[in-house]
Amino acid sequence: MSLLSYGDRPVEIAEGETVLSALLRAGIKAPHGCRAGVCQGCVQRALQGEPPAQAQEGLSDAQKAQGFFLACICAPKSPLILAPIESSSPRLDAIVRSMDLLAPDIMRLRIEPEAAFPYRAGQFLELVASEDLKRCYSLASHPEEDPFLEMHIRLHPDGRMSRHLSQNLSPGDRIEIAGPEGNCFYEGVEPDQPLVLIGAGTGLAPLWGVLRDALRRGHRGPIRLYHGARDRESAYHAEEMEVLARARENFAYRPCVRDTAAAHGGDVAATALADEQASLAHAAFFLCGGEKLVARLKRELFLGGAKLKHIRADVFTQAV
Amino acid sequence: MSTLYERLGGEKAVDAAVDIFYRRVLADGRIARFFDTVDMERQAAKQKAFLTMVFGGPANYTGKDMREGHKHLVEKGLNDSHVDAVLENLATTLRQLNVGEAEVKEVVTLANSVRDDVLNR
Ligand code: FES
Repeated sequence: MSLLSYGDRPVEIAEGETVLSALLRAGIKAPHGCRAGVCQGCVQRALQGEPPAQAQEGLSDAQKAQGFFLACICAPKSPLILAPIESSSPRLDAIVRSMDLLAPDIMRLRIEPEAAFPYRAGQFLELVASEDLKRCYSLASHPEEDPFLEMHIRLHPDGRMSRHLSQNLSPGDRIEIAGPEGNCFYEGVEPDQPLVLIGAGTGLAPLWGVLRDALRRGHRGPIRLYHGARDRESAYHAEEMEVLARARENFAYRPCVRDTAAAHGGDVAATALADEQASLAHAAFFLCGGEKLVARLKRELFLGGAKLKHIRADVFTQAV
Repeated sequence: MSTLYERLGGEKAVDAAVDIFYRRVLADGRIARFFDTVDMERQAAKQKAFLTMVFGGPANYTGKDMREGHKHLVEKGLNDSHVDAVLENLATTLRQLNVGEAEVKEVVTLANSVRDDVLNR
């Protein structure tokens, strides 16, 4: 077996040579910058094999756990198979198990993959209805607790995927999936660190997964979950959250519903930013929601003193 | 004789400086728009590369890389006053980390030496 492959293409590499230089020599367009392990412009991902630890320095724990490394300072000692950039992850068939409404415009979709689908709670997958209709959805399920993959899907009257799911799909049907992907999972968090989860709308899905994963892994520090919703009905899963908050001493649930009479008008970002002032410097944050919300929170949390490596975010883009 | 990078504390020192430095430039109304991006991790990695270079550490940038990397910013109006503001934030960051005045000077001089490349002249 050759020491280096790019997908299924073997790449010649000399002893002590770096992965970056071998890729470039083979004519593969590998992005790069400083060539000194600093700018992170050359990240590659190992699908198989362990990159030397020193080639992963400076990357986030979530990236390390997924096999990412810096190609410009990686001289492999054992075989590495790289994931070609731009190639999509392998596809898999899944069977629809159930579809029901969590709120008037939020559908819970549960599917069962036909082969093993290893993932971390909080990651997302891609639903493939056809070659020109693919969308990413975060997973609300937990790999060890749930025998299914669960997604919370906002139903847009004009959304093509929404329409396809609600009109053409029923339990027992088959759908293709690809993935998983994403860095928004419980990794590199200290068990005693305050854990702050902030999401809006269906951004609750990955947070629900992360929350259960944190509890399973024995997180001891306080956990606070802020969920922003337009109205009471959209603050779905409120009951489950409240039950959990009563059962777990270290978990607090803060639904934020738009309401002019509420503190900060019920705005989830403003509420969380005000309430978390004292924990900024040492808490771990998970942010999930629309681009505007996530960008605002990330910036404000960082400017307020949060460490960038303690902020993980998952941005939901809306495609129709 | 140890290098400037070693005297400053190497990678550890860069790591300590990067959050402070990036936070400062983001909060500085004169230059924030050049650093404000959705992908803050990538931006922070760029700041780290920049700091490593001006600390005299390992980085193989050429004048050409500098020019290309900043072309789009020059088009957006990047000029000497912005470079001055960056240098000011750099010096303040170092002082905040208790770096001696002699070293601060050395770092700022190194940073200033790429001014023409950064401004594409
Ligand atoms: S090219 Fe900059 S870290 Fe590899």
